[in-house]
Amino acid sequence: MLHEFAIADTCFLIDWARYRRRDILFKLFKTVFVPEAVLREVVSENTISWISRWLAKGGLALYTEDPSEIEEARKLVEKSRRIPHIIPVDLPEALCLIIGKRRNYIVLTENRGALMAVDFLEEVNNVTVWRSLEILVKAIEKEILSIDCNDPEKILKEYMNDTLHIFPRRDYNRVVRWMHELCQRRK
Amino acid sequence: MPAGNPLTKEDIEEAKKIRKAMADWNFIEKQPPRIKEALKYYIETGDMYVASRIANLTIEEFNEIRIKARIPNVA
Repeated sequence: MLHEFAIADTCFLIDWARYRRRDILFKLFKTVFVPEAVLREVVSENTISWISRWLAKGGLALYTEDPSEIEEARKLVEKSRRIPHIIPVDLPEALCLIIGKRRNYIVLTENRGALMAVDFLEEVNNVTVWRSLEILVKAIEKEILSIDCNDPEKILKEYMNDTLHIFPRRDYNRVVRWMHELCQRRK
Repeated sequence: MPAGNPLTKEDIEEAKKIRKAMADWNFIEKQPPRIKEALKYYIETGDMYVASRIANLTIEEFNEIRIKARIPNVA
């Protein structure tokens, strides 16, 4: 087990739930918390049945937001809107960031506002934010996922095909380079 | 694994360009007004939460329509 706790926002969870190897999440984290508001956004049988199954097994757990967390998240939303050159963060992602900060959970999100917030807002600059890309990288590092050295990109392509999610070119190339190096070292 | 760089303005513009280029515009134009505008908002901003509120759908319902409209989630 790499980390104990994470908290997932809706955009991450609904994407991730479409991925064929979605259960690897629970080899990286003891428990991934799901805020109540996130659960309300899920409607498909596929996602609901996956979430319910893992709520029952304990890999996922419901997170009930505290009013003071919501208030702090609102302040973060307002602050992000005062800075002209950044993508503002919305309340659901701000809430995950505040929970991540207060409880030292890794925040799982695909939201660019949340990704920018940790770079530009001092209130959350100690929060660790992972996208699906970072999760795949960690899973490779920990040998939870194994690279096919004849086609190292296959791992990323599988995720992109399952979710219609495209990794930014720069990040994609960086990870592919790293995977090639890893294959060279393992020869 | 070396760490990535912070998100830049160029990354945001690149993501917008990819969403615009890959979208199925015939599908988008045939949608009811709320859905159509929400999809266009999503292409412009990549913000699924607000787009789902414009469409008056849950985020997952909106995500299903995003996939039908062939708009990638670039993140």
